[in-house]
Amino acid sequence: MTATSYEPQAFPRPRRTHDPAWALHWGIWLLVVALIVGPFVPLLYASLRDRPLYEAGGVLTVQPYRQLFGDSAFWDAWGNTLMFASLTTLMAVLGGALIAILVTRTDLVGRKTLGRLTLLPILLPSLGMVLGWLVIWGPGGYLTAMFSDRLHLPTLAIDTIPGMAVVEATRLLPIAFLTCQAALSRADSSLEDAARSAGARPVRVLSSITIPMLRPALLNAATLIFTLSIAALGIPLLLGTSNNIVFVSSYLYNTWTNASTPDPGSVSAGAVMMLLVATALLVLRNRLLGAEARFVSVGGKSGRQALLRLRKWRWPLAGLLSFYLVFTTLVPVLGLALMSFVVVLTPLVPPWELLTSAHWNVLLDDETFRRSIENSAIIAVVGAVGTTAFVALATLVAHRSGFRFRRTLPFLMLYPRATPGIIIGIGFFWAYLLTGAFGDYMRGSIWGIMLAFCVRNLPLAYIVMYPTLARIGEELDRAGRAAGAGWWRTSRSIVLPLLKPAIFASFILMFVEIINDYDPAVFLVKPGTEVMGATMLAQFIQGAVGPVSALAMVQVAITVVVLSIGAKLFKIGVTGGDHGA
Amino acid sequence: MPEIHVENLVKEFGDQRALDDVSFEVREGELFTLLGPSGCGKSTTLMSIAGFQHPESGRIAVGDETFVDAARRIAVPAEQRNLGIVFQSYAVWPHMTVFENLAFPLKVRKLKRAAIRTRVREVLELVEMLQYEQRYPHQLSGGQQQRVALARALVYSPTILLLDEPFSNLDAKLRERARAWVKELQRTLGLTTIFVTHDQDEALSMSDRVAVMSAGEIQQIGTPEEIYRHPANRFVAEFVGRVNLIEGLVSANEGGGVLVDVTGSPLHLSVRDGAGASGSITIAVRPEAVTVLRLDDNSSNGTNTWEADVETVAFLGDHYEYEVNAGSVALTVQSSRRVEGDRIKVHIPPDACALVE
Repeated sequence: MTATSYEPQAFPRPRRTHDPAWALHWGIWLLVVALIVGPFVPLLYASLRDRPLYEAGGVLTVQPYRQLFGDSAFWDAWGNTLMFASLTTLMAVLGGALIAILVTRTDLVGRKTLGRLTLLPILLPSLGMVLGWLVIWGPGGYLTAMFSDRLHLPTLAIDTIPGMAVVEATRLLPIAFLTCQAALSRADSSLEDAARSAGARPVRVLSSITIPMLRPALLNAATLIFTLSIAALGIPLLLGTSNNIVFVSSYLYNTWTNASTPDPGSVSAGAVMMLLVATALLVLRNRLLGAEARFVSVGGKSGRQALLRLRKWRWPLAGLLSFYLVFTTLVPVLGLALMSFVVVLTPLVPPWELLTSAHWNVLLDDETFRRSIENSAIIAVVGAVGTTAFVALATLVAHRSGFRFRRTLPFLMLYPRATPGIIIGIGFFWAYLLTGAFGDYMRGSIWGIMLAFCVRNLPLAYIVMYPTLARIGEELDRAGRAAGAGWWRTSRSIVLPLLKPAIFASFILMFVEIINDYDPAVFLVKPGTEVMGATMLAQFIQGAVGPVSALAMVQVAITVVVLSIGAKLFKIGVTGGDHGA
Repeated sequence: MPEIHVENLVKEFGDQRALDDVSFEVREGELFTLLGPSGCGKSTTLMSIAGFQHPESGRIAVGDETFVDAARRIAVPAEQRNLGIVFQSYAVWPHMTVFENLAFPLKVRKLKRAAIRTRVREVLELVEMLQYEQRYPHQLSGGQQQRVALARALVYSPTILLLDEPFSNLDAKLRERARAWVKELQRTLGLTTIFVTHDQDEALSMSDRVAVMSAGEIQQIGTPEEIYRHPANRFVAEFVGRVNLIEGLVSANEGGGVLVDVTGSPLHLSVRDGAGASGSITIAVRPEAVTVLRLDDNSSNGTNTWEADVETVAFLGDHYEYEVNAGSVALTVQSSRRVEGDRIKVHIPPDACALVE
């Protein structure tokens, strides 16, 4: 030990109070409750009244429910929806698990790249992709016409329930893929090694050890995919209309838009019913997640796993997977691109003879289209910044504070994930109607739509941030507190800087999700507050397929560019592993 | 430097009682150790003092400042307790340089830049880390990170110092050096310190006094020697060091001690400890306190010298370890002497026997 000049010194004690922690905790919690529970209270109320909320008088009644349940079309819609959701879930889960096993546990050619590309569909604009499918494989679609009319081959009938399920499954498959991939890379490879030592051959190990261990992940993914596919709105509106296939979401949409009396209570009743189903599924899923923990093997060391050798199947399987990806991702996007540049898309005339820039000119000239792009861009930037900042703080309160009600926050923040977007839209519609000047302002501006989008997507921000936060040792903030910094100072100087990668990832993800979102907006848009997704839906129904395709291409382009920038700048692997959680 | 009072702490996690009426006092300038197996409540006690756990009842005071008084609903926030703490993981902030790590507590205390600079360098010099001040934690070894953590806990002159298993992440060689170093630093600075560990060697070699904990209760408080030589109960005897436990019945009181009939055997044991004891008792004898003799060696005879069969002898470098059976009594004996033969004599000195039950 060296001789030292260290002397105990009387430093000023850290000042008492003035740490806004107490106010911050309560403020954030109240805001979370207001934003997430808030919209559903007026919805429930609206479903139990004999006239719209904005009309004076009115009595409590179950009439809206009676009216709804008396409509056989509503029950038909439920039948269609459940059939569609079951098929979607089945295909997405099986496909996702299969691809996950292929790219994490075998020596498939190009498995890393293929794995990354598999994630793309969930990030691409969903409405645009449905449109892409429609122009290629729809009843009058490009390839449908080519195959069935010219070659007399059967084609995908995507205007039927199984066909619609295929389209939805390709979008949701990445969720199953991510969940299984996470489970597979978390699993302790020594469990598999043990089976091999016991004499099992690789394929046997796969079937007896690896796949059974995936069971909880599969169940978990299945519940989420089922919940999400129940809420699908774009698919029944774009693909189902020609065959008169109606889902619950499109039933509510049609009832609302075609109603003789505005804002019928039966729509709110239907929305409440959907909400109940979604909530039940969320609770079920929470149970399953608890069960999954039992299957998590301790001390898994990834990267050491011996890969199953596919031998002569290495190339063919990679080819098959590439074909799937081209077929489900590239072809619809190409279809959209082509559609946006031709007068009509038909195999009878070569597309280059039908070239036109008219659709793109519409985007620039038409007030509605131009405003939609501007509004969406503003909403996406402001919304992504706001949501990310808010969720970062709320996550800290939930997991790094002594706040009394902190344990309610994770459930609250995950709740909108299970809620159909159309219901969030109706909820906010009623909430704005009931909140006086504030509500009027929100209804008349793009901020009302932005808030609905933000609430709808904030679970994803939480899902991105929480795992990173959990990896930041709690002793790091305790050290800050012991050093004399209050909760807010510790959060600001220590925890938030360490959370930076997740904060950037969340921003990118929020931007992409918000710019592509549409269903919460369908009941909120007004002239002047249009956003891209809602405009696409409205214009498509009016038949403007070309300009809508061009608009969808704008979404696709923005998404791809922003994602690549995000991946480059912040090394954000979309393989975060928890997107689907 | 002030003393620490901990009175009647009770902490429950669900229906599990983590702390059950824990009380102790730490004297000024003392290094006081909480020793026990994992889950015994030692870390919970430390974190209650630091302000990261909130006991349901009890009182904690440092000097004349009350930190916790559950009855009066006092709980000073962690950041206002002004104590230094070194965590098991060191918790050196990875996004700050060594200098910034040390400067942070001073910035919070609103010191001027120049004053921060002087003080940080002064303390870095104390822990011999001055040349690393611009490094980031990931560029440092475990031992160096620990020094930074300690320096950060000292830089603002805390009232007391808390050490939460600070050596458990170091390898064996480094650990011994770090122990000696920390002990000396603590003594030089005269800082009242509470140290938490599950490692008995660490506790015995560093502490002024030790509190042995188990199942949320304090079993014994004493100097390392008292704890080792006169364990208060069976748990302490077994947890601190190795021990032979001999059960018996008190047959007579004799001049400041007792004579014991060993249970299930014709042997007797004269014990200096436990005057006034009666009934059935348990006696603890450390393996190295027992001496081994050749069968024909008559230098020691009498009640406490027993004949025994040798089961195994293991050579452990600096000593031999014997497993022997004296009738039905199995004993472990450590001795530097090698005594040949399948049957030997063992001698248990009366003052090496501690009454534990």
